[in-house]
Amino acid sequence: MSIQAKAQTDIPTERTVNPLWYKFHKNPLTIFGLCILLFFLLVSVLAPLITSYDPTKINITERFSPPSAKHWFGTDEVGRDIFTRIIYGARLSLGVGVAVVLSAGLIGSVVGAISGYFGGKIDQVIMRLMDIILAFPSLVLAMALAATLGPNLQNAMIAIAIVKIPVYVRLARAETLALREKLYVKAALTFGIPPWRIIARHIIPNAISPVVIQVTLDIGDAVLLVATLGFLGLGAQPPTPEWGAMISIGWKYLIDYWWYPTFPGFALFLASCGFNLIGDGIRDILDPKVNR
Amino acid sequence: MKQIIVKRLSLLVFVLFGVTLLTFFMSHVIPGDPARMMVGQRADEETLQEVRRQLGLDQPVWVQYFTYMKGLFAGDFGKSIRTQKPVMDDLVAFFPATLELALSAFVIALAIGIPIGVLAAVKKDTMVDHGGRLFSIAGVSTPVFWSGLIGILVFYKLLGWLPSGGRIDLHIPPPTRITGLYLLDSLFTGNWAAFKNSLWHLILPAFVLSFAQLAMVTRQVRASMLEVLGQEYIRTAMANGISGAVLLFRYALRNALIPTITVVGLSFGALLGGAIVTETIFGWPGMGKYVVDSIAYLDFPSIMGFTFVIAVGYVLINLLVDLTYYVLDPQIKE
Repeated sequence: MSIQAKAQTDIPTERTVNPLWYKFHKNPLTIFGLCILLFFLLVSVLAPLITSYDPTKINITERFSPPSAKHWFGTDEVGRDIFTRIIYGARLSLGVGVAVVLSAGLIGSVVGAISGYFGGKIDQVIMRLMDIILAFPSLVLAMALAATLGPNLQNAMIAIAIVKIPVYVRLARAETLALREKLYVKAALTFGIPPWRIIARHIIPNAISPVVIQVTLDIGDAVLLVATLGFLGLGAQPPTPEWGAMISIGWKYLIDYWWYPTFPGFALFLASCGFNLIGDGIRDILDPKVNR
Repeated sequence: MKQIIVKRLSLLVFVLFGVTLLTFFMSHVIPGDPARMMVGQRADEETLQEVRRQLGLDQPVWVQYFTYMKGLFAGDFGKSIRTQKPVMDDLVAFFPATLELALSAFVIALAIGIPIGVLAAVKKDTMVDHGGRLFSIAGVSTPVFWSGLIGILVFYKLLGWLPSGGRIDLHIPPPTRITGLYLLDSLFTGNWAAFKNSLWHLILPAFVLSFAQLAMVTRQVRASMLEVLGQEYIRTAMANGISGAVLLFRYALRNALIPTITVVGLSFGALLGGAIVTETIFGWPGMGKYVVDSIAYLDFPSIMGFTFVIAVGYVLINLLVDLTYYVLDPQIKE
């Protein structure tokens, strides 16, 4: 059974990997996006080697120093080095964005597979629940949820994951509806394999590719949402070096100490650009209309 | 057509019901003790019980929901903890400012986005096209709060062209309230000083808010123009000697705009989200700034009132967009 299931996934990949990579390669903007992300990855992994400052250590004598050779991006209201806080913040801001979308994708595909596989009342209830979540603009719902749960990073992550789940449920459900009719699923049923096992072993592994694509498209947006909640005071709390939280304090000092909110914002912009460039490239590759 | 409207409306009733369930759940069930939140940590047990009784929190959940619904139907969202006024009154007072900002951003996004999109499609794969693409990706990637800050730095601090925030200068009396939109009201009353001043205040926040949507419009117009330009009726029109602006705008753009309307309509939710942040940065006295100020106080009645109103508005706009789609595209008739 598993050999058959494996064959199902293997054949299309083998045929398409090379042309895909070719198209990916041909698109300079996508490569540029990839470079940006690699840069951030490298910087966040090597953070302690790049800077000798501590991201949270207070040094009041050097508060609000403008950018200089000593402090590349200046210092904040208690003299912490902003450059240091940004590169440590990269771990947090990007890591949280990726984690949120991955968990939303995972939960969404399981729920979607259950919904599509069983159909009937379960399906109705799940899909109507998703409709309700989609009735809210995502930032507004995330904000309300985060405020209700209490303002901290963990709750902000939960709130954003909830907002992101419906898309994955819909994707996985649509795939499952088609997979349910496949011969190998029916064969598994006749062998008396329980439904949860069929869903886990045969449905989800085969329904996963559109979900993976959506995940790559969503990360940029999630990173921005995390930072926006941080900016509104609903995400990571100071003194955590999260980009949104840094800007939420820094923007009040904008007129006199321009560097304080400007550099964390630029890092956020650059990272989000990287994710969106890659997402855009992937969309182009998968959209047959673009090639005409 | 009739069937579609009936079907959509019945779905609407259901979704609105769901929205009330979710906001009720968020305001009454998730927070451990709303009464404790209202009276604060230091209140004694007696006051707490009294508030609990007043709020009806000693009742079973379904009774609470029923009371909640009765309130909603009467337009009663409770009293704001921060302003001590009914939330509904607050929202009504702040709504026009948000509407003025969002509408202006919307108009800017369309007025700039459509021409750029057309240009990018006509000059496909040239520098113009690549530039347009980079521009639109930058638009989607820019956090609204950051573009707002950069806007203030450049246009207020560096150049001194535009004010850093607010809706109108303090020394200028706001126009007599007719619609609540300063631009319209000052036009109606012929108050030029107020008109000029409020326009001057509106420019920067409206541009900042429009940026992400502008990017989306550009991208969608480009994609659908490319598709339309490849179709046979365009070739026929060209063979008949129609070219240039007439071909592009009268023949191609009209059809290309149909999918654009959907995208733009759906992105209205993002616009509302963006308005929350933009209003905060620019001190724009709208619903968004109101809710952010309320968050700092954990003022739940106002947060939930805002959330509910926005969700209802969003659902209605989406319905409107769907219906326009059916009206505009004569091919969808069944």
